Amino acid sequence: MTGLTREPIEHPGHLAERVGAVSEDAPPGELRLRVTPLAFEPAARMLEHAGARFVSMFLADTPERALVAAFALRGELLVLRAPAQAPDPIVYGSLGVWLPAARWSEQELVEREDVRPLGARYTRRLTAPDADLLDRRVEGLDVFALPFGPVRSGVFEAIQFQIETGGEDVARIQTRPFFKHRGMERRFAGLASDLAVHVAERVAGIASAAYAIAFCEGVERALAVTPPPRAQRWRAVYAELERIACHLDVIAKQAEATALYVGQARFQILKERVMRLRMRLTGSRFGRGMIVPGGVRAEGAVGLEELRRELDGLERDLRRDRQLFLATASMTDRLIGSGRLQRKLVEDYCAVGPLARGSGSSTDARHERPYGDYRRLGLNVVTRREGDAMARVGVRFGEISESLRLLRQSLDHLRRRDGELSVSLPDGRSGAAFGWAEAPQGELAIWVEIREGVLHRVHIASPSLRNWALFDHAFPKDVLTDFAFIEHSFGLTPAGADR
Amino acid sequence: MLEWIPRGLSQGRVTTRYPRREEVAPRGYRGRIELLAGTGAGPELAELCPTGAITVEGEGRLALDRGRCILCGACVDAAPERFAFESRYQTAARSRRALVARDHDDGDPGPTRRALGEQARALRRSVHVRHIDCGSDGSEEWEIQALWNPYYDIQRLGYFLTAAPRHADVLLVTGPVTAAMRTPLLRTWEVMPEPKALVAVGTDACSGGLCSAGELTAGGVDAVLDVDVYVPGSPPAPIAIMHGLLLATGLLRAGELVA
Repeated sequence: MTGLTREPIEHPGHLAERVGAVSEDAPPGELRLRVTPLAFEPAARMLEHAGARFVSMFLADTPERALVAAFALRGELLVLRAPAQAPDPIVYGSLGVWLPAARWSEQELVEREDVRPLGARYTRRLTAPDADLLDRRVEGLDVFALPFGPVRSGVFEAIQFQIETGGEDVARIQTRPFFKHRGMERRFAGLASDLAVHVAERVAGIASAAYAIAFCEGVERALAVTPPPRAQRWRAVYAELERIACHLDVIAKQAEATALYVGQARFQILKERVMRLRMRLTGSRFGRGMIVPGGVRAEGAVGLEELRRELDGLERDLRRDRQLFLATASMTDRLIGSGRLQRKLVEDYCAVGPLARGSGSSTDARHERPYGDYRRLGLNVVTRREGDAMARVGVRFGEISESLRLLRQSLDHLRRRDGELSVSLPDGRSGAAFGWAEAPQGELAIWVEIREGVLHRVHIASPSLRNWALFDHAFPKDVLTDFAFIEHSFGLTPAGADR
Repeated sequence: MLEWIPRGLSQGRVTTRYPRREEVAPRGYRGRIELLAGTGAGPELAELCPTGAITVEGEGRLALDRGRCILCGACVDAAPERFAFESRYQTAARSRRALVARDHDDGDPGPTRRALGEQARALRRSVHVRHIDCGSDGSEEWEIQALWNPYYDIQRLGYFLTAAPRHADVLLVTGPVTAAMRTPLLRTWEVMPEPKALVAVGTDACSGGLCSAGELTAGGVDAVLDVDVYVPGSPPAPIAIMHGLLLATGLLRAGELVA
């Protein structure tokens, strides 16, 4: 297959044998295992025991209707498939009952498709939330349930938290996503891939580049095309600028939550500089319209020398602001120890991104399954072990520096060698594959099915949805006034989660 | 702690002078689509657009609905002799009709609803703004938040963000209005005191954008409530949103700041 060198016991192929799965052909970096629906759950359990991290589950339609669960195991994405004849419901053993990370994904599937997970009991509707419906009554002196959202003070995306509190201590929090469900996955169907990338860019707007890259990778892998190196370099440039903008946004919001207004203004200025740089580079403040299946549309519109000077200036200013931020006790006091997530919990929920890396887990798609230019760029994965809001901010500061380093490397490569910007896709071909990218919020994986050159089915495993499940556990010793700090430290986007 | 003070002053003024002075968008900025030639079009041109913003009317006359346009540039790539990106910030209009460009394109934002124009003057330099997300892609929120950053600082014009809809004069709505956000939107609007204005921010809010009307979304805010100002864009830049706010509160006449 793809030149795997592993101990026999760790070879997923051996796992496949043990659970009676059949190994199927797949693009490099992807391993497909076919099982019967009844063997689905034991196989998933086996993969989990072997250290595989759950990514998502969904219903695929290529090459045939099948229940699919995706796992990440070392350098591979495992795609466990259980084909089933339509129109019968797919009956299988529930994963959600023993795997917390699979709960929302499985529940979404139950509510949208004809699947019957045995042993699962999902009572409240996840995907059609009612803002007025409280999930349960709370008993006890002075305890009350507070529905916080979907309309909240400030300019925030819509999401609801049901907070059970005595006024200070937080007894229980329940996160309720899906207020923003727009049916974006269905919107891809019937479009040619060059138009569909515009849909991908608008699923989670603040991570447009990551969504475009993951989608294009999926298309390219499904059709067995490789974009030229120069296109991959430009993609990395857009992705890292996006990461810097998102991380600066989180840090500015932390400063705002402490009423450290000068600090807030400083980080907002830095973020706006990145937005303006992207506007000059791509014509869009969010870097849209440049990444297309097969490569990139054009060279960036700013000269490489000038781009480098801008980045140098940004880094100089950032260094001083970071120093001040970290030396301001009124700021750091609110973050240190807040919203502590144990590593075990993070791993049980298969969390990703800066959130997971703040709790000592080193998961990063750019490192685990390098794609595009990350195969050539040496990435230092930034991690912290403390697991609190401060650690997550620390990871972001570290990642901004790392992104700036990667950007310089990319610019050097771009300067040294010229080359093609895109390859054309073969006409009328079919295929299915996962594409992935490390979005600023965490690992993003997009399943893409193409039939005769037209998009058929798309599934998006967004980092925001996966990480939000952890929010319910983020208040072990925290009080209600820590809410803003903890929420911002998650740095997620409901648009991506709800799709 | 005190070191923040010189740090804050170190940069000097970064704030835009808009609307007193025009803010020029950099070359290459994709602000909106310009219609270069609006006649003699074949029916195939309508097929170019993923959101159906282009229609070909009788005798090959083109109509470009900027309220539907997501600025993807598919038309610019396919028919550069007819469509081009225009680096322009001011895209807002007071009516849905004014967003539709035909061969003659005067950029007139259209008249204010008369009642609103009269009432809005009373608000003058103390306008309280409230935002509600009805299913945006999240980028519009970033651009609205940016209005209060040092570059745009809309507070200098007397616009304040308020937490309570009961204190709000202007409601900024983003997103195509998803099923779950319909009731919260209606309720937010209902408790706002008169006079009030509603601004649809972003192409999704103007027309649904990629999301057409159906079970999942209403396909735009005006399917649910009357909209006073439309700010198309995917997403609109902060200056564009500022332009929309000025129009909604009647502070802009023929591009000039009044009051």
